[in-house]
Amino acid sequence: MLRLIITRVFLGCLTLLVVTLLIFVATEILPGDVASAVLGQGATPDTLAAFRIELGLDRPAYVRYLEWLTNALQGDLGVAMTNKRDVIETLTPRLSNTLFLAGYAAAIAVPMAIVLGVLSAINEGKFIDRAANVLTLGAISVPEFFIAYILILVFATNLGWFPSLSTVYADMGLWDKIYVVALPAVTLTLLVMAHMLRMTRASVLAIMSQPYIEMAFLKGLPRRRVILRHALPNAAAPIISVVALNLAYLIVGVVVIEVVFVYPGVGQYMVDGVTKRDLPVIQACALVFGGAFVLLNTLADVLAILVNPRLRHPR
Amino acid sequence: MEDFAKKLREAERLAARSSVSRRDFMQLAMMTGLSAAAAGAMFSKAEAAETPKKGGTFRMGMEGGSATDSLDPRTYADSVMIAASLAVYNCMVEFDSAGNPTGELLESWEAKPGAVEWIFNVRQGVTFSNGKTLDADDILYSIAIHRGEETSSPAKGILAQIADIKAVSPSQVAITLSSGNADFPVILGDYHLVVVPNGFTDWQKPIGTGGYVLESFEPGVRLVFQNRGEYWKEGRANFDTVELLNIQDVAARTAALQSGQIDAANRLDARTVDLMMSNPDLNIVRTKGTGNRFCFVSRVTQPGFDNKDLRLALKYGIDREKIIDSVYSGYAVPGNDHTLDSFNPYYNTEMPQRAYDPDKAAFHFKKSGLSGPITLKTSEGAWGSAVDCAQLYQESMAKAGITLNVEKVSADGYWDNVWLKEPFCAVYWGRRLSADQTFTQTYGSGSDWNDSDWRVPEFDKLVEAARVELDEAKRKEMYFACQQMIAEDGGMVCFAITDYLDGFSSKVMGAAPHARYDMNDNRIAEKGWFA
Repeated sequence: MLRLIITRVFLGCLTLLVVTLLIFVATEILPGDVASAVLGQGATPDTLAAFRIELGLDRPAYVRYLEWLTNALQGDLGVAMTNKRDVIETLTPRLSNTLFLAGYAAAIAVPMAIVLGVLSAINEGKFIDRAANVLTLGAISVPEFFIAYILILVFATNLGWFPSLSTVYADMGLWDKIYVVALPAVTLTLLVMAHMLRMTRASVLAIMSQPYIEMAFLKGLPRRRVILRHALPNAAAPIISVVALNLAYLIVGVVVIEVVFVYPGVGQYMVDGVTKRDLPVIQACALVFGGAFVLLNTLADVLAILVNPRLRHPR
Repeated sequence: MEDFAKKLREAERLAARSSVSRRDFMQLAMMTGLSAAAAGAMFSKAEAAETPKKGGTFRMGMEGGSATDSLDPRTYADSVMIAASLAVYNCMVEFDSAGNPTGELLESWEAKPGAVEWIFNVRQGVTFSNGKTLDADDILYSIAIHRGEETSSPAKGILAQIADIKAVSPSQVAITLSSGNADFPVILGDYHLVVVPNGFTDWQKPIGTGGYVLESFEPGVRLVFQNRGEYWKEGRANFDTVELLNIQDVAARTAALQSGQIDAANRLDARTVDLMMSNPDLNIVRTKGTGNRFCFVSRVTQPGFDNKDLRLALKYGIDREKIIDSVYSGYAVPGNDHTLDSFNPYYNTEMPQRAYDPDKAAFHFKKSGLSGPITLKTSEGAWGSAVDCAQLYQESMAKAGITLNVEKVSADGYWDNVWLKEPFCAVYWGRRLSADQTFTQTYGSGSDWNDSDWRVPEFDKLVEAARVELDEAKRKEMYFACQQMIAEDGGMVCFAITDYLDGFSSKVMGAAPHARYDMNDNRIAEKGWFA
């Protein structure tokens, strides 16, 4: 087990290194550079050259990458090229916002998806199964901004129950935050529910047709106990990996939701960074996103082993 | 008549909250049969009905900011930072609602004949938020940061004409230009040229002479300002607190304004603004035809486009009204193939507006002796609806029997790779400070940005002569001629100039249209107040 974790962490770091290299190369290939992006179409060759020298862009690309890498390894992600602010300082509050929103949505979505998934599996073909399927699949079939706008129209503009702007600040209390972030959290819940629910339903159903489940029923065990003790632990592995995948999505894939609800998360920061070709910013965001993926996937693998009796005690 | 009277009452109400310009009000009042003098008096009376009140928290939601913003004036490029800057700092020169320069920190000025030597008087008794009193050295420093070899300031170009600048006394600055420029005070009104104390460098903690001080700044998210308590402009900076939120998404801005989470929003969507106008809780301020100038620009040195008849065919073959109606929902005015707008005092009012005329387009195309399709490059990177406009252009050209190939290219790097390089492409121009700047930068032979590559010595001479002409009547005549030349002979099809559409909560006063920018010249935090 320990060996597995160590290998995964090592591979994860390697992945991150490759990611930063790829992103660096990709940003170099993009037309235009930070100087022309910042100074805009009104820049003269004169001011462009001055700005490039100021930023050190006149040096070869590999020198700049190696310099960035050495600093990053020492925990220094540098300052943004555009506004000279410390990247870590700007990123930290945004990252905690992103994690807050992701955690909020996950806290609603994961229990609901699993419970509804199990219920649909037990009541296969009955009303609750069909209703859950139709609703969640319906929600995932429309674009995310559409759900967001519908929620804003109904709950913010017409009913006035929730604010349409979900901007959170450092000095806001927890309950205030929970209140203002309600609409984006619900939107995200609707987006990720279907995948997890369907996977839970499918894996529980697959297990339910196994001979040992039939055996448990024949022993006279109550249905509840059969499902929770016998079926669910064995169905858990695929569910956990789907949950991990969706959690990762909640962290890295919510730029559109951030824009619609004006939520200051990492996604918008990265998009702004890319528009301005601001390399330290892009790299820092990539590290965060890549790190989230690696971490969640490793966690999912470890958990899958821990909950499954057969994997826990390999013969 | 009945209708006019109703409109006039409405206009009077708007004037009371200064939401209508004197020019628009007068036009309307005179249509109802009032004399100019009576209309003027009526406007003044309505406008004076409200005196500013102090207090309240003013929340603005604006587009035009990003996570990479900074309060260093050498980096300003878009609305959020301009509005933020004007809350904390003052400029050298301000503009009245008609667009004429008035004194700000440079209180008044005088030019010697020839407009080469200028004396500017520095306003006395103004203090910075750190307690320092404003003097001529602060002005010199605030100009110096935009000049010199290593500066990356966008204002470097417009200040290159300064040959010598020095303080004559603590209250006077003398500037000598390399050649005469009667518009020089207008140049000093550029939004990059804000005044900071001599030697100031800590842009994260700005020190200015404005009505507010910065409390917090999260780039791309929010700025908060507190009232300084004292301000040298009477009746200005009335709010206790000003919050400026970055809201990039227009639907999010609209929803926030409708649900009362913000008191002001810029750049409303022309497609939904009609609905908002019928909402009594909102006050929509429309500034006609001072926004972006949308053009299709051909380079007149390229084969085919070097033919004047072809260029005329391009200009007659575009259906301006249709594009304005279907793409901008009517919230734009037709361009007359040059980039000066009708708010400019030198706008040529005698030149007829060019309209869609497929017969003339066909005639000139035939006369040009050219055949075969014309290729137009366009992109979302030029401006959001550039592709839609190009497709409508293609349709209207087809009716004149001319084939226009519309080629959509990548938005990334559009301004680096397509603009100034391709023979015919979509371009937008922003408003320039003055007629002189418009003509010099956009059409002057010496300009790097002369995107139509239209370089005509007679035109340059005319612009140069107008620049030093202090006789207004003569100057106007020259600028009229300039516009005529560009529209007749130039390579630019300027088909629309958009309106600015701002939305305010109806309790916000002082939200008037302005000749320069939206949000009352981006100074609504300073000029507004709550009823």
